[in-house]
Formats: sequence, structure tokens, C-alpha cells
Amino acid sequence: MMKISKRELPSKVGAALIVLILCATFIRLGFWQLDRAEEFQELQKPYIERPIINLSQVAIPGENLSDDSINQIVRFSGRYLEQYIAPNQEDKSGVKADWIVGLFEVDSGGAILVVRSVSNSELPIGSVEIIGRLFNRQFDDRAEKASSKLSRIDPALLVSSYEQKLFDGFVLAQSEKINGVEIDLKRPELDPAKPSVPGYYWQHISYVVIWWLMALVVLFLPFYQVSRKRQGNERGN
Amino acid sequence: MNGVIKRFRFMAIAAGIMSLLLWFVELPVVYLLDNPDLEAKVKWIPFVHGYIYAFYVLAAIHFTARARFTIKRMILFILAGTLPIASFIAERRVMRQFPLS
Repeated sequence: MMKISKRELPSKVGAALIVLILCATFIRLGFWQLDRAEEFQELQKPYIERPIINLSQVAIPGENLSDDSINQIVRFSGRYLEQYIAPNQEDKSGVKADWIVGLFEVDSGGAILVVRSVSNSELPIGSVEIIGRLFNRQFDDRAEKASSKLSRIDPALLVSSYEQKLFDGFVLAQSEKINGVEIDLKRPELDPAKPSVPGYYWQHISYVVIWWLMALVVLFLPFYQVSRKRQGNERGN
Repeated sequence: MNGVIKRFRFMAIAAGIMSLLLWFVELPVVYLLDNPDLEAKVKWIPFVHGYIYAFYVLAAIHFTARARFTIKRMILFILAGTLPIASFIAERRVMRQFPLS
């Protein structure tokens, strides 16, 4: 048993603390990678559609969309205020086209962007009932900024133009009805959005192995140090 | 000791090659090029690198412990596997210091 002098005690305690902190950090990093691997595996599963609900149940004007509300098929009614073109939008088959996007005032309050069609269409007048899928706003510009054009489908681009609060994200309309009569339009299609986890399952697992191995290494180093010292002393004797 | 050095050499070279592939092939393809086909072809690199690095760490610890290196040198040897040419340099130094009999 090695004796520790009072003078050495603070440095030994400090070293032990550092070892414990590093070890805990590496173990935590391992669990973080394990979570990412599980999340990645979860994302590979097919998307399960949820029942249609009212827009006001999943989104509030002026607030960010929650993760749960993205991809939800929502129902709402109101009237169109304005119509824009969103150039260079890509559908689920990779076909690029200019999409017609309406700014829609919802009866329950607030306004939301609604992707209506890929072909030019007149803005409906009067009360419209919409069913569509809710998507997160786009972050990258697809075109130059210009009036009556949306460089990306993002309500932030229109915040200064309208006094009322805007819903975050946009709705890809699946059906629009006026007085119960369906408006026949060629609508773009998108797959439900998938949050992406960079990398691959076995890559994350390999990082789990590495982080936990590092934790073991950190635990091993003090014993190695002691054994080196002991061997040095024996040689000195 | 010869076996330990040979294992370390092998793992240092393998980790070095995988680091080069990771830094100069996989990362540019994923983050600079927008080519999903090419991305799919290089997706094996990061996880093979991950496992090879784990074995490299074990080989480096085994070798540095047997050679009675200081903790600082041991840590430097472990970290050498994360940079593209550092493990090659470590391997060369080991070969100079411990020529195989």
C-alpha cells in the first residue's frame, strides 16, 4: 500500500477528480452517440400517418412549430389574402417547378403559407376549407429575392408585410374546398419530412466503442503511473 | 516485444490510411459535393475508421505500456491515430527506436 504524504494529498485529489470528470465525460459522450444511433435506426422505420386534426390544435401563430406538429395533416378554414410564386421548388420525384403559394388568413386567427399548385391558378375568393400537411419552413433560398416571389417558403419573408401574426412553417395543400366543392388543381407532392441524423448506424456505434474505450483508458492511466513509479523505485534500489 | 511492435505498426499504418481517407475523401464528398451516389460509395469509411481507431488505441496502449513510456507519450500516441499523418510519424519513430530483431 503506497503512503500519500499530506503535501501530496491536494495534487492526488485533484488528479483523481480530473480522472473522474474525464471518465464521466467520455461515458456521457458514448451514451450521446448511442442515442444518435438509436435515433438513426428509428428514422429508418416507415412513417406512420396520424389522424387529421385542426391546425389550431398543433400550431399557434407567431410561435415555432413543435417537432410533433411537423408532418401532421391539418384542417383549417379561412380566406386567401395574397398569392406568390416560389420558384425552383423540388417535389418528391425530384422534379423542379415554380409553386403557387397563397397567404391564407385562418378563421381562428393568424395567417399561414399554403402551397397550392404547380400551375398558375386564380386566387379563390371567399371562405375556403383546406386539408394539407404541415411542413417546417425552408431555410435555403431557391431563387433570387423579388416582390411577388418567395425565394424560399418561409413566413419570415412576409413578417414585415402583414400586421397579423403568421404561423411558422407552411402547409402543402391536399385539398381546397369552396362551399364543399373541391378546387381541381395540379398539386405538388412531398414525402413527410424526415429529421436527419448525420452519419450511419454502425458509425455511431463505433464512436460509442471509442468513447467508452477512452473512459477505460483514463481509468487505467493512474494505475499505469503507479506501476511505472514502483518499477522505477525497484530499479533505484 | 517484437509482436507488440508489429501489431502497433500494422494498426498505425491502417489508422493512418483510414484517417487520410476520412479527411481527404469522405469529408469533402459529404460536405463539399452534392452527390448522393458518391456519398453512398464512401459511407463505409467513417465506421471502418471508427473501429480501426479503437484497435489502434488498444495497440498503442499495449506498446507504450510495454515500452514503459510516460503517460504524456502514451496520450500522444493515442491521439496520433486521429490525425492523417501523425500515426505514420509515430510508426516511423517507433521503428527508429525499436528496430525489429
